[in-house]
Amino acid sequence: MAVDIPKSFEELPTSAPRHIGRGRRRIEDPALLTGRTQFIDDVELPRMLHCAILRSPFAHARITGIDTQEAEALPGVVAIVTGEDALRWSHPAQSSPEGWGTHCLATDAVRYVGEPVAAVAAISRYVAEDAMELITVEYDPLDVVADPAAAMKADSPLVHAGQGTNVMMDRVFTWGEVEQAFEKADCVVSEEFRWNRMGANPTETFGCICEWDPLDLSLTIRGSIQSPSMFGLGRAATFALPSNKVNIISQPHGGSFGGKGGTRGTDVTCLLSRKADGRPVKWIEDRVEYLTAGGSQAWDRYYSASIAVRNDGIVTGLRVALVDDLGATGEAYGAICAAKPLAAFTGPYTIPVAEYDLKLVATNKVPSGPYRGMGPPPHFFVLEQLMDLAARQLGIDPAEFRRKNFIPKDAFPYMIPSGNEYDSGDYEEVLNQALALADYPALRSAQAEARKEGRLVGIGVASAIEPGVFDWNAYAIVGMPGTGVPEGATVSIDIMGFITVRVGFSLEGQGQYTLVSQLVSDYFGTDPEMVRVVYLDTQSAPPSFGPGGSRLGVAITGAVLGACDRIRTKASQVVAGLMQTEPENIVLRDGQFGIPGVPEAQMSVAEVAGTMLARSDLLPPDVDPRPEATHVWTAAGRTPADEEGRAKSYLTAAQAVHVVQVEIDRETGFVEIQRYCLADDCGTRLNPATVEGQTDGSVAQGIGAALLEEYSFDSDGQPQTTTFMDYLMPTVYEVPTVEKVAVVTPSPFTPLGAKGCGEGAIHTTPAAVLCAINDALAPLGQMAREVPAAPKRLWDLIRLAEDTSAEGSRTG
Amino acid sequence: MAGRQIRVNINGTDHQAIVEPRLSLADFLRHELGLTGTHIGCEHGVCGICNVLIDGRSMRSCLLLAVQVDGRSVETVEGLAEGEKLHPIQEAFMDEQGLQCGFCTPGFIMSLKELLDRNPNPSEDEIKDVLGGSICRCTGYAGILRAVQSAVAKMGGGRPSLLD
Ligand code: FES
Ligand code: FES
Repeated sequence: MAVDIPKSFEELPTSAPRHIGRGRRRIEDPALLTGRTQFIDDVELPRMLHCAILRSPFAHARITGIDTQEAEALPGVVAIVTGEDALRWSHPAQSSPEGWGTHCLATDAVRYVGEPVAAVAAISRYVAEDAMELITVEYDPLDVVADPAAAMKADSPLVHAGQGTNVMMDRVFTWGEVEQAFEKADCVVSEEFRWNRMGANPTETFGCICEWDPLDLSLTIRGSIQSPSMFGLGRAATFALPSNKVNIISQPHGGSFGGKGGTRGTDVTCLLSRKADGRPVKWIEDRVEYLTAGGSQAWDRYYSASIAVRNDGIVTGLRVALVDDLGATGEAYGAICAAKPLAAFTGPYTIPVAEYDLKLVATNKVPSGPYRGMGPPPHFFVLEQLMDLAARQLGIDPAEFRRKNFIPKDAFPYMIPSGNEYDSGDYEEVLNQALALADYPALRSAQAEARKEGRLVGIGVASAIEPGVFDWNAYAIVGMPGTGVPEGATVSIDIMGFITVRVGFSLEGQGQYTLVSQLVSDYFGTDPEMVRVVYLDTQSAPPSFGPGGSRLGVAITGAVLGACDRIRTKASQVVAGLMQTEPENIVLRDGQFGIPGVPEAQMSVAEVAGTMLARSDLLPPDVDPRPEATHVWTAAGRTPADEEGRAKSYLTAAQAVHVVQVEIDRETGFVEIQRYCLADDCGTRLNPATVEGQTDGSVAQGIGAALLEEYSFDSDGQPQTTTFMDYLMPTVYEVPTVEKVAVVTPSPFTPLGAKGCGEGAIHTTPAAVLCAINDALAPLGQMAREVPAAPKRLWDLIRLAEDTSAEGSRTG
Repeated sequence: MAGRQIRVNINGTDHQAIVEPRLSLADFLRHELGLTGTHIGCEHGVCGICNVLIDGRSMRSCLLLAVQVDGRSVETVEGLAEGEKLHPIQEAFMDEQGLQCGFCTPGFIMSLKELLDRNPNPSEDEIKDVLGGSICRCTGYAGILRAVQSAVAKMGGGRPSLLD
C-alpha cells in the first residue's frame, strides 16, 4: 500500500489554524509539575531488593581474592555476586570495535577506577551499602597507563594483556587527492588541539529494576533507558537469551543526552536478581558512581589538523589526525563518536578533499561513551579554529572568510568528500541573519575601543552542521552493521472517535508526545488535549529506536503521518461503500470524510470509526475493519558504506552561525560571555517553542564544554572529579541570554520538511566561544588550544604573553 | 538500628513515624511516605533538585536527616496544586516552557515559592541568587527565567527588570 506522507504543512488535511508549527503547552507537563510522573526510582515492586555495587579503587590491578562471608551474614542481605557469577552466567559486553568488551564484574583484573567488583542485593539500599563495606577484596596493583600517547608505545602496560596492544583501531581514510591539495596550497595552517573528557550528566542518573524469571528464563528490565530496543539486544547478547525473552520498560527519564549508560550496572543487577531467585532488584546509580564510572564520559581527544588554503581565501583541503582515548573497553560505543564526523567532516564548506587519520586507544580509564552531538562538536571546534587562523593569516575578516567557503544554496543536495549528502540550506542567509542580529560592525568597533584600553575583548563567528536523523551506516568504519533506523507508531481511533497513539519511547524532555498530539489532531481534526499518547515496552511496541542522533522529531512525524494515511485509506473505502462511489473520490478534510462539493455526503472521523467497529453489516466486503494502523518509517535512499566509510548516512543537515562576544579578565583568566547571538536553519519547525528550548539547552551545554566541564584524572588514573563540587555544571550565572533568529529551508527529503535539531547548538557553541577567546588573545600572540578554556589555562597564556613581552622589552 | 519517633507536618497533614536516625529526609519523603515528587540529583548538596521547604525555608532534603525535621513542617511539590488547579508557579513553568525533562523542576519550584512567598517583587539579583543554587541540565535556564517573570505577574507582584 502506497503511503502518502505530507511534505509540508500545507499538505495536511486541515484548513488551519493548525496545531503543528506552533509552540503550545506540552501535554506532558502537568504530571511533571506536580511530581506525579514516575521516574525509575519512584517505582516500587513487591519483594523488591536494592543493589549496591562495590567498585575498584585501583585503575589497574589483579584481583587475588574476594571474601564475602561477613557480608553474607549481615541480616537483610539476600544475594551477593562477584566475577565468578559473571563468568558462570554472562558473556563479555558487546563492544565497538568488536572484541574489546569485558564481563560486567571484574573476573581477573580491574582496568579502571570504579569498575564493579562485587554487588549486594539487600532489603534496603542502606543495608546493601553496609554489606558492601564488609566485603574484602585483595588487589595486586599493576602498572597503569592513563595517557593514550604512552599507551601507544611498544613498552606500555597493556590494558588487556590478551590483545597484545592498546591500539583498538588505527586507520587513515583518504577522500580525494589530499596530498596534491596540500602541495599546491598557497598556505597551510596546522595546529594541535586537546579536548578533555566531559559529558552528559543528566540530572537524573541511571537506574533500573531487573527481574530474572527463573522458570521462563526471561528478563524484564525497567529503567531510565534512552534506547530501549538497542538496550534489550545488548542484554540478550550478554545473557545469551533469545531477544524476545528480554523486555525493556523505559520509565520517563530525567534527561539523557546520550549519557545515561547503565548497561554494566544493569547486567550486575540482573545477575543479582538471578541469584535472588528472581526477586526484582533495583539499582539507582548515585552521582558519585555516575561521575566516577557512569555513562557520561565522552570525547577524550588529541587533535593535530591542517587546512590547505589558496591566497584568495578558498580552503582546498582538510587533514585531521585524531587520537581518541576510549578508556578501558569499547562497551560504551565511544568509537561511534569518532566515526560520526564522517557525516559532516568538512562542515558547511566546499572543501573538496579530506583525510582522517584515526587512532582509537585503550587506557585505564572509564570507557568513554556518547554525548549530545556524538563526536562532531570537538571536530568543529578544531575546524573552526583553523578557519580563524587562516583568515587571520590572510587578513580576511572571519565572517567573510566563512562566506567565501560556504556551500552555495543552489548546490544542494551536496555530496561532501566523506560521502554524506546534505539535503538543503542557505548558509549565507544564516550568516547574514546572525551578523545582523549581533550588529557585527558595531561589535567590531566596540572591540577596537576596548582593545585600546588594553581589555581582552574577543568576537567569535563560527558555523557548523548538525547532522540529523542518524543512520547506522555512518558508523560502519567502527564495525556497526546495518542501514536504516526504523521508527514505528500505531494510531488507533476508538468506537467513540477518540484517538490513541502508541509509541516505543518514553518521555525524556523533548516534548515528543506533544508533537505526536499536534500531528494527529491536525490530521483528523481534533484537539491535541484529546489525543492520548501511550508508551509501549519493547515486547509490545512496533520497531522503534527512540530519541538519539537528532532523529526522533523527524522519524516520529513520518511514523505518525504514515499511520494516519493508512487509516485514511481504509476509512475511505468504507465511506466510499456507504456513499456508493469510488474510494479515490473520498477526501478527508477538517475531520470529515466525504465527497468534495457535496455537503450532505460527509461523515465525521468518529462516525466512520464507529461504523467500522460496530456496523459490520454496512462494511464493503474485504475491508479491514480496524480504524487503526501502524506505520514504520525509515529514511529513504540511505546507502551502505564503501571501503573508505563513505555513505549517505544522516538524512538532514541543519546549519547554524553563532556570533559570540567575550571578555577575558587579565587578572583571573575568567571569561565573561557578553553577547550570544545565533541564527540557525533546521528546516520546518514542527514546534518552534520546543526547538528554541532545545537550542537554549544545547548552548548551555556547549558553554559548559567550552569553559567549565572536565573529567580529570591523575597519572595513576585516579579520577579527580567525582562530585558536582569538582565537575562544574553551568548554572544560571554562566549561561547568557541567547538571542536567536530562525531561517527556514525545508528539507526536500523529510516529512513536513523538518530537519533533525535535538542536539543542535552544541555543534557550534564550543567552536564559537573558543573563536571569541582566541580573538581576544590574538593581540597577545597567544592561542587557547585546550577545551575547556578554564581560567587557569587562560591565565597561564596571559602570563606567558606578559613574560614574553617583558623579555622582549628587556632584550629589545 | 534503633528507630526514633518523629512528628512532622507534611503538606498540612500531621505524620508520626519511627525512623532510623541515619535516614535522610529525602529518602523518608520518597520511600517511606511515597512522596516521590522530590527528586535526587546528587545527594551531596550541590544541585538543589531535592529542595523542599522546612518551616517555609528552602533546604536540601538530601543533606538533612528525617529526625532533624521532628516538630517542623515540610512542604513538597505534592502540596502545591489544589486538586486540578496548579499553583501559579507551576502554571508559569508550563506557559513558558520552564521545563524539559522536568526532573529538576520540583526543586526549582520549591525554592521559587520560598522567594515569592517572602518577596512578591524580587530583583534580578534576588532571582538569580535563588536560581543559582540549583542545576538544570536541559533548559539552559532561559525558560525558567521567563517562568519566574510570569509567576511574579500571576501572583500579583510587579514586573522584574530581568527580561525587559
Ligand atoms: S540532591 Fe540534594 S542537592 Fe543535589
Ligand atoms: S528540565 Fe531537565 S534538568 Fe531541568
